[in-house]
Amino acid sequence: MSGRINFKLNGKNVSVELDREKKLLDILREDLRITGVKRGCDTGVCGACTVVVDGKAVKSCVFPGKNLEGTEVVTIEALSVDSVHPIQQALIDAGAVQCGFCTPGFVMELYALFRSKPDADDAEIMKALDRHLCRCTGYETIIAGAKAARELMKERAAIIL
Amino acid sequence: MGLNYIGKDYPRPDGIQKAQGKSVYLDDINLPDMLYAAILRPEYAHAEILSIDTDEAARMDGVVAVVTGKDCAFSYGDNIRDLFPMAVDKVRHIGEPLAAVVAETQYKAQEALKKIVVKYKPLPVYVDALEAMKEGAALIHEKNGEYWHLPSIHPIKGTNVAGHYALKKGDFAKAEAEADVSIEAEFDYPLGSSSAIETHGAIVCFNNDGTIDCWSSSICPFLIREDLARTYGKTIGDVRVRIPEIGGCFGYKSDVFIEQTVAWIASHAKGRPVKWMATRQEDFTSTLLGHGIRTRMKIVARKDGKFLGLQVRSYHTTGAAADTGINISHAATHNATGPYVFDNCDLQGYSVYTNTPPVGAYRGYGHQEAQFATERLVDMLARKMGMDPFKLREINYLLPGTVNALGEKMYVTNGVITDCVAKVKKAVYGHDKPKEDAEFYYGRGFAALMKSPKGAPPQTKGCYLKLNKDGGATVIMGGAEVGQGLRTVVKQIAGEALKMPPEKINVYFQIDTLYSPYEWQTIGSMFTTMGGRAIIRAAEKVIAILKKNASHALRCDEDFIEYDGGWLYVRNDPDVRIAVAELAHGYMHPDGMTVGEVAQATSDARLPRYSGFDGNGQGNAGVTYTFGAQGCEIRIEKKTGKVTIDHFASCFDVGQVVSPNQIRGQVAGGVLMAIGASLYEELKFDKDGKILNPHYGKYRMPKASEAPLRSTIEFAENPDAIGPFGARALGEHPVIGVAPAILNAIQDAIGTDFLRIPVVPEQIMQAIGKPEGKK
Repeated sequence: MSGRINFKLNGKNVSVELDREKKLLDILREDLRITGVKRGCDTGVCGACTVVVDGKAVKSCVFPGKNLEGTEVVTIEALSVDSVHPIQQALIDAGAVQCGFCTPGFVMELYALFRSKPDADDAEIMKALDRHLCRCTGYETIIAGAKAARELMKERAAIIL
Repeated sequence: MGLNYIGKDYPRPDGIQKAQGKSVYLDDINLPDMLYAAILRPEYAHAEILSIDTDEAARMDGVVAVVTGKDCAFSYGDNIRDLFPMAVDKVRHIGEPLAAVVAETQYKAQEALKKIVVKYKPLPVYVDALEAMKEGAALIHEKNGEYWHLPSIHPIKGTNVAGHYALKKGDFAKAEAEADVSIEAEFDYPLGSSSAIETHGAIVCFNNDGTIDCWSSSICPFLIREDLARTYGKTIGDVRVRIPEIGGCFGYKSDVFIEQTVAWIASHAKGRPVKWMATRQEDFTSTLLGHGIRTRMKIVARKDGKFLGLQVRSYHTTGAAADTGINISHAATHNATGPYVFDNCDLQGYSVYTNTPPVGAYRGYGHQEAQFATERLVDMLARKMGMDPFKLREINYLLPGTVNALGEKMYVTNGVITDCVAKVKKAVYGHDKPKEDAEFYYGRGFAALMKSPKGAPPQTKGCYLKLNKDGGATVIMGGAEVGQGLRTVVKQIAGEALKMPPEKINVYFQIDTLYSPYEWQTIGSMFTTMGGRAIIRAAEKVIAILKKNASHALRCDEDFIEYDGGWLYVRNDPDVRIAVAELAHGYMHPDGMTVGEVAQATSDARLPRYSGFDGNGQGNAGVTYTFGAQGCEIRIEKKTGKVTIDHFASCFDVGQVVSPNQIRGQVAGGVLMAIGASLYEELKFDKDGKILNPHYGKYRMPKASEAPLRSTIEFAENPDAIGPFGARALGEHPVIGVAPAILNAIQDAIGTDFLRIPVVPEQIMQAIGKPEGKK
């Protein structure tokens, strides 16, 4: 298991030496020092490490690095350049941010969902949220924030990533 | 009280940074020349260490040091010094640090760890307090009783009892003899984990100049500083501890623990910072657990419902060390009364060494474990007596004018529980319960509760408040933000105290023992109460300085000068005035000559007259209380035994709501955490002390779809006498009444009294006499 892999990270081409079996999370955090993606469980359960690969939300802690070749990866950093993304704003306004450790994962999950399905219904939103754990909020505010994000995304559709 | 900023919602100062993934947590810190540690855990939960062969590991590529506990000459602990940074001659639980590798990368450290060979002599293993207390049980700590400990702790030498606490009030035996009715049962709140989504971690560097730097995901930086200084022979000032953003705490990051292990490892790689982050598995096996409390409880009462006495034997599976758990045992014992008056109490708690990871703080700190028993038993007693459980409770509540088990008198400023009960009763019982149908049983349950802060007499919180040249202010404190939103609260309280809009006040982020004012520990739901008072005290000092400065500018005595947040003016001629901004750094006369003082001040605040225990186990060990009530409506699916929380209602008497949205978030979060404990979460051990489910696949925390379908969250506001602007503590409290409310509801639905949590579908299916849940 070695060799270079090439993929697109937040719109830029990157190339990483894969000297052993690595997960996408290790590549992002350790090789590329992308720290917005969080390590929570390493078993694909908690969702704190969620990023978007080719338009789909994936748990980067279980996504094999070797499968990255030619993919397009989007992390929370792309949504946080010089403004606050509507999903972020909606979660903040709903009071869905407490310790904040799970938040980037939820943001990326919702980003993938609303990009592919701007009119996702409440059940689809709940299904997406159920791929994540939050220990602080009891989810009440996250659920409310996610629904508000859906509307805010549509409102600002023309100007956002 | 005319409040301008308290009671309104303001944006969290950390909201955007967190939502954008820009906040820096421990694992996001990468220091120059940093090394990485991996820690070896034993194969046995209790064994003598015969040998540790580290030769091959030391020869591995990239390895800088291999560390064992062989030469470690100290133990540590705030309460009992029974903790070791690394196992010395024996291992006492399956997650204990046994050896470590320091290497250039995390991967290399882990690879080298596999090459360490350990030989053991296994010893008998006890995973439950009752087993470890049996006559003839092998000793887990041969030196039990010899370790330094606080005078409030009473170990029983030659046994595994690390601490025995007894509270005696009145005469329980006499009360029992006079009683018309009694009821007793044993309840079990098993081991679980706080399990924040961010695991524990620390970075420690032993600098070549003799100082020590530490970064940790912890809420006790000042204790870490003092403890590292003591154990490594440094002056306290030589140790500097920094706390970045914390990804959740819920209790288990409250005490000095993993930092001592990482420091021990780093002391073998001097001159370079060493980082260790717990894997999720290690976060379960090798950091502090929660709960593990069995409560045998007996209530005796008159036939009219008046409680006469309470007897409790609380057995705490405290784990392989008792330092971090002993005070939880105390809290679980003297708070086992719940929110009721018992004139006669015989309460005893045993904190017992076991071969399980040490128990530490978990949101609720002994209260939910004990009051799970109280609130279930009161319901059971009401049924036995044929009385309405609300009526039975009402006769016995700790209302203003009554005295609690510790001997503290309650005042209306401690809150009024009946105000909370009324709101929850209306929300849950104000309509008919759905009738059993083909698919579901329905049930409703209730629990009343109280919580004391459970701290220590010297606990205090500091504040450094400085006015800026633009008339705004900066507040720096030592309180740890773990998600609860204290930065928002600081802004609001400072705004109220300084009479200026919170928008003009900015607050601290990182805590740094070198620069932050002293804070004992951010625990016990006490930040608003004590920290808020510290802010008010500092603000008063700053305003006094401003008036002094103004007296130069306005040529008027200080006591004729008024302050309104923007201006200082002469009382009898308000047109003679000067802006705060012009006085923040003293007053500069038109010719440039400057007089006066920079408007900045430090202050701190502690709970008044907080004490330890007297010979009867009583004392001012609570001082401030928050009362509350919780209730729920559930449905149980007949086919599967699955419990759904249709509605959960909570009300707490918080004195004065500070941040409406944030306090609601605290309640919703606490309730769901305890729903997890009630229905899903348990850390399971086999008889050899191995942990069967140290990962999220099998340690099931609630997901979004498992949150209550509807929530009622209300507050009573009988102002507090200590807290800022009448505010009272609310943080841990929402977990306390959840398990008894749900289990009382399960009883209401299917008629079965469960005495242990979690109650899982298989148990419900058994209880209703049907085969295992068919899908």
